[in-house]
Amino acid sequence: MGLLALGVFTLVDASTIVAPSSVNTVGPQAFPYAVGVLLVLTSLALFVDLARGHGGAAEEGEDVDPSATTDWATVLKLTGSFAALVVLVEPLGWPIAATVLFGGAAWSLGARPWWRPVLVGAVLAFTTQVLFTQLLDLYLPAGPLEGVSFLG
Amino acid sequence: MGDFGALLDGFATALQPMYLLYALIGVTLGTAVGVLPGIGPAMTLALLLPLTYSLEPTAAFIMFAGIYYGGMYGGSTTSILLNAPGESSSIITALEGNRMAKAGRGSAALATAAIGSFVAGTIATVALTLVAPTIARLAVQLGPADYVALLVLAFLTVAAVLGSSPPRGIASLGIGLFLGLVGTDTLTGQQRFTLGLPALADGIDVVVVAVGVFAVGEALYVASRMRRGPIPLVPAGKGWMTKDDWRRSWKPWLRGTAIGFPIGTLPAGGAEVGTFLSYSAERKLSKHREEFGKGAIEGVAGPEAANNASAAGVLVPLLTLGLPTSATAAILISAFQSYGIQPGPLLFQDESALIWALIASLYIGNVLLLVLNLPLVGIWVKLLQIPRPYLYAGILTFAALGSYSVGASTEDLVLLFLLGLLGWAMRNFGFPIAPAVVGLILGPIAEEQLRRALAISQGDPTVLVTSPFAAVVYAALVVFLFLGWWLRRRQARTEAELAAVVATPAESERSSS
Repeated sequence: MGLLALGVFTLVDASTIVAPSSVNTVGPQAFPYAVGVLLVLTSLALFVDLARGHGGAAEEGEDVDPSATTDWATVLKLTGSFAALVVLVEPLGWPIAATVLFGGAAWSLGARPWWRPVLVGAVLAFTTQVLFTQLLDLYLPAGPLEGVSFLG
Repeated sequence: MGDFGALLDGFATALQPMYLLYALIGVTLGTAVGVLPGIGPAMTLALLLPLTYSLEPTAAFIMFAGIYYGGMYGGSTTSILLNAPGESSSIITALEGNRMAKAGRGSAALATAAIGSFVAGTIATVALTLVAPTIARLAVQLGPADYVALLVLAFLTVAAVLGSSPPRGIASLGIGLFLGLVGTDTLTGQQRFTLGLPALADGIDVVVVAVGVFAVGEALYVASRMRRGPIPLVPAGKGWMTKDDWRRSWKPWLRGTAIGFPIGTLPAGGAEVGTFLSYSAERKLSKHREEFGKGAIEGVAGPEAANNASAAGVLVPLLTLGLPTSATAAILISAFQSYGIQPGPLLFQDESALIWALIASLYIGNVLLLVLNLPLVGIWVKLLQIPRPYLYAGILTFAALGSYSVGASTEDLVLLFLLGLLGWAMRNFGFPIAPAVVGLILGPIAEEQLRRALAISQGDPTVLVTSPFAAVVYAALVVFLFLGWWLRRRQARTEAELAAVVATPAESERSSS
């Protein structure tokens, strides 16, 4: 486990080191260079830290089980739900896409039976649609429901 | 006296029924969202920011003030009834408050937290009213080099004090600074780090970053290691503060305020440090020391007061210098910026009416919170019982809603999720999130001031340290870093003491009898 954490940690660090090398060669560079140097120096400091055995303590929280290992399946399902929103929001509109997002996310997190989160999601999605477009004057696409007076 | 008149004008504005309504909405929403487990004040603000997009500035800021105080307050209810603090500044409240709740004195704990927050919030707002205009008047004379010094000070203290270790804090700051670089350079029009994507040319919207790393990151993090099973909620219980509770509470309230406000104004990491200091002070001074660790009311009253007092203290450097010293303050700044208002020394001159209305609404918000919270505890308890899958699905949905409504672009949604993955990774590996947000906001300001200072001096870097003010700031920086280190050590010691107290209740009982 510690090895895995170290591996991913190295990856994270590598990406911070790559950042300065992508500094563009034209235009104002002083500040980006300073940031780049800062990132490289801290990543080195972290390596030293890690070599001495000070690994990072994962953050604690109300709903976090500190002893649990990372549940990749759930994260993937959540990513899928979110991707669905990104793809669907323009063609199908916010109400439908958000229903999919909420339903999918809650289901991935363990809400059963499947229709309950979908129902809650639909209520939430339509409420926010009406609230945002009617009360707050902000744009949200209504999709095929375009033309329904209180949604657009 | 001019300030006093301006404050009265502010009240005249903020007390208009329409603005009162906005304050009420802000306080209610802020508390409601702040109560939800897993959501700290910074995330509350970030999630609710979109609601104010279509409002005119005064209404929006009055609502922010309410959300800010409400979100701060909401956390204490969560920690008393759920024993699992959402933000680090509520750890202490969770410790003593939750034990009180388990002993059936939950409502007394909630009451002392609410009234203590009110007392501390009001006194600290008075202090803010007195101190801020004076600082602003002094700050007007600062040049670009002085600003660079102040920003360096803010960067280093925020990175060093927030989070578990300085290198991690600075790494997080660096990530934020980098994100702040993305976009078109304001002085030359050069695109930087945009990867040729037009969506990145305008830079990354602060709301998208904040909501991404805080809200989406948190949802992913919780999802990846969720605590299954029933929610360990303690009922609030019946009863009210007894005479004895009052007698034991009022001094901690005042001491907590006295500790919290100055610490909030320093760039020393916001509310958290103050609560720990207040707790250890109360423990030392208490006549009921044996109760600490088992539900001592002083241990709720003092730290809660310190927490709220420092929330007001944080506003001092924010409004007068444009320096956010906590993640919450950084998001407040971005709210200001979205209205084209740059917090800083000129704010009290240029936007006088707006600022005084904001300060007046802080007073009003405090009163509303007190009125609202005592009777509405029942509703907040219901909110705590939302099944977790629905709660985090809801957070994701509102995060998406907020970012999408900024610019109605799906690129923002993709970006939001990528930043969420970043926030998740940072949490997983113990990197603090707050310095990244502070770096993102302050980075561009620092760069501009730095380049302006160097332009004036025609490239001579010594100008950065030769201004007397800047020299003083760099000297202060050394002192602050030392002070911060000392405070952390105190905090670590308090934590160790706490652990000892909690681990051996039987022993301390024996020794006390």
